[in-house]
Amino acid sequence: MTRTANYVVAYEATDRGREALQLGIALARLTGAELRICIVLPRPATVPSKVAAGDAEYQSLLLEQAQEWLDDAAGRIPADVTATTHALQAESTSEGLLQAAERFESDRIVVGAARAGLLGRFSIGTVASALLHASPVPVALAPRGYRAPRGLSRISCAIGTRPGWESLLDSMVSISEGLDVELRFVTLVRVDAAHDAAAVDAAAHLAGVLDYFRERADFSGPLTTAVGEGDDIEDAVEGMDWRGDEIVFVGSSRLASPSRLFLGSTANRMLRTLPVPLIVVPA
Amino acid sequence: MTRTSSPPPATPGGTDSATGLSTKGLSAGSIGLLGATVIGISCIAPAYTLTASLGPTVAAVGTQMPGIFLVGFLPMLLVALGYRELNNAMPDNGTSFTWATRAFGPWIGWLGGWGLIVATVVVLSNLAGIAVDFLYLALAQIVGDPSIADLAANTWVNIGTCLVFMAAACYISYRGMETTKAVQYVLVAFQLVVLVWFSVAALAQVAGGTAFDALAFSWEWFNPFALSSFSAFAAGVSLSIFIFWGWDVTLTMNEETKNPKTTPGRAATLTVAIIFVLYILVAVASLMFAGTGTGALGLGNEDIQGNVFAALAGPVMGPFAILMSLAVLSSSAASLQSTFVGPARTMLAMGHYKAFPARFARISPRFKSPSFATLVAAAVAWGFYAVMRVLSTDVLTDTILTLGMMICFYYGVTALACVWYFRRVAFSSVRSFLLKFLAPLIGGVILAVIFATTLVDSMNPDYGSGSEIGGVGLVFILGVFLLLAGVVLMFVMRAANPAFFRGETLRRGAPTE
Repeated sequence: MTRTANYVVAYEATDRGREALQLGIALARLTGAELRICIVLPRPATVPSKVAAGDAEYQSLLLEQAQEWLDDAAGRIPADVTATTHALQAESTSEGLLQAAERFESDRIVVGAARAGLLGRFSIGTVASALLHASPVPVALAPRGYRAPRGLSRISCAIGTRPGWESLLDSMVSISEGLDVELRFVTLVRVDAAHDAAAVDAAAHLAGVLDYFRERADFSGPLTTAVGEGDDIEDAVEGMDWRGDEIVFVGSSRLASPSRLFLGSTANRMLRTLPVPLIVVPA
Repeated sequence: MTRTSSPPPATPGGTDSATGLSTKGLSAGSIGLLGATVIGISCIAPAYTLTASLGPTVAAVGTQMPGIFLVGFLPMLLVALGYRELNNAMPDNGTSFTWATRAFGPWIGWLGGWGLIVATVVVLSNLAGIAVDFLYLALAQIVGDPSIADLAANTWVNIGTCLVFMAAACYISYRGMETTKAVQYVLVAFQLVVLVWFSVAALAQVAGGTAFDALAFSWEWFNPFALSSFSAFAAGVSLSIFIFWGWDVTLTMNEETKNPKTTPGRAATLTVAIIFVLYILVAVASLMFAGTGTGALGLGNEDIQGNVFAALAGPVMGPFAILMSLAVLSSSAASLQSTFVGPARTMLAMGHYKAFPARFARISPRFKSPSFATLVAAAVAWGFYAVMRVLSTDVLTDTILTLGMMICFYYGVTALACVWYFRRVAFSSVRSFLLKFLAPLIGGVILAVIFATTLVDSMNPDYGSGSEIGGVGLVFILGVFLLLAGVVLMFVMRAANPAFFRGETLRRGAPTE
């Protein structure tokens, strides 16, 4: 493959934007991809008011400001990562990011996922939420307060037991190619009176997952599995060990139309609980 | 697509910057004649404008209202032609502030920007005031309890409700949200239907002999020169400029239209044709139904003057008066929200060029809207309204009269800025002479005369609602206070940060540069 992968980073000069930038840096270091740091500006439109709103003038001032913000973002990029900056106009932020991903033929969109103003560690913001419903490429969600580690040591892949899990594995085959990290397959199960044998089933399922993956993948790093158990998904997630230098891949819901992301309920609940970045891969 | 516009900055890691605005995108140039006309009518907000201006206009010119409406369009047309030339010559400078600064230098430029800000702050307070009245009227009509409508007369309820409207509109603007095209279409169609309905119902009552104070129609109403005094004429023209205010915006919308060469001009023509027919229809129907007397529903009644549809819609439209309430409420609420954008962006530009303190130039990194400037516009507009509510016996009438004066001021400054800016190319062609010189010159001079006349006349304590302070009319005190406050603030800014006033941030220019 001669093509260098690239990731769209959804930047804004806020904590959300800086978290996205940090995750972009972490991912770029892992895969050698380039970053396309994008600020989306509202498309100019005549405001139906009694005073001329000076639209063109405002657009040029806005662009000037966006350039300052982008320069600041570029200044935060470490020497080992390549990045370009872009100001775009679109009807909405998510639409602009999707257009950018299409234009740059990007492999991922990286976005700060936290909702502004709420205390929840991982309540999804409107832009991230819109992307999850519409993106044809994986969306990487940076948690609140995320800082890029020196390098990522582990990739976890959350695999459900319901039909359709193979499609995420197929994606992982290509994503993990040539990476020098530990790859861990994780299954979360609810354990209570009604789901007695669930943990045993999950372990057997993961063994099948490993076989499926080994058959297809060209991956030389350590492969591990883990079963998370708990009264509910949050509990199961919190009961597992997570590292600050790891990322988690999850598949999108089977409810989504082909190659459109949609977060299933398990992934959605993981997102609210996990302290590590989540990358949602379209089915 | 993305075009490189600046050299890569020397940042570590081989970061290069390829920033460019994506060429105006897919939906650029998507607005046709109908869409542009809808935007034009939205700008004018006829339901709001008529309810606010019919009373004060009748008070000034009586039955000559239709004629004054016709003649009042002339200065608006002349100034708008100049606006269009400035907009084409300096597309990146889009407000009275930057145009006047480029033409006349920082001092007059500053005052031009100030005039626009003041005019919009005053109209924001009037829009909110009308919205408050109609909110309680609509509630009363829905619940069937007329006493709810009287809540609007309670000063503190009124000021509190106004604060809620202001806060909501400010929040929507701050979030950078815009009225969608579909909503605009519905609002405009609704206003037009209801206003025609009102006129037809009023004329039907005249024909059926049930009108409140039937006046026989007379062609003489269309003669603006039948007025007894120039003062009445000037006051009428000042109000007429208010009723067409917003029309010029249509002329400056270029890039969004399917055909930037023809669409804006045609849309502006179609807009003004529709508005003319509508205004004349409503003005004639109102006169014929209610007369100009001071009776309960008479247009000369000071108690109903500031908001005539609130009083007339019930008797004219019967149970369907609720539609008028909803039309005016939606029209003024939508206009309230969109009107925030103008002063906020002007203050932002003034902050950017250091004519205002730097914090006015702040842009919200999340919503990409002028953050501080929007909040200031809301706070000042509400504060102005609250003070006026307490001081004036008829806040709506007095704010409209003040507004007419302020619009004359900043339109006049802008028109003369056009003349001065283009002075060297004015005689290069017949077209230049007419559009860049003669039209804005005549328009500017008319506005200057109207401004001076109404300013002098408003010293009379009987002017407007008759509110006065120390024997001087409230409208005069307001007008002078607002303009002098601008002059004082200008000198304060000059002392605090002289860069703008030395021409270091925004230079004078000429079209040859």
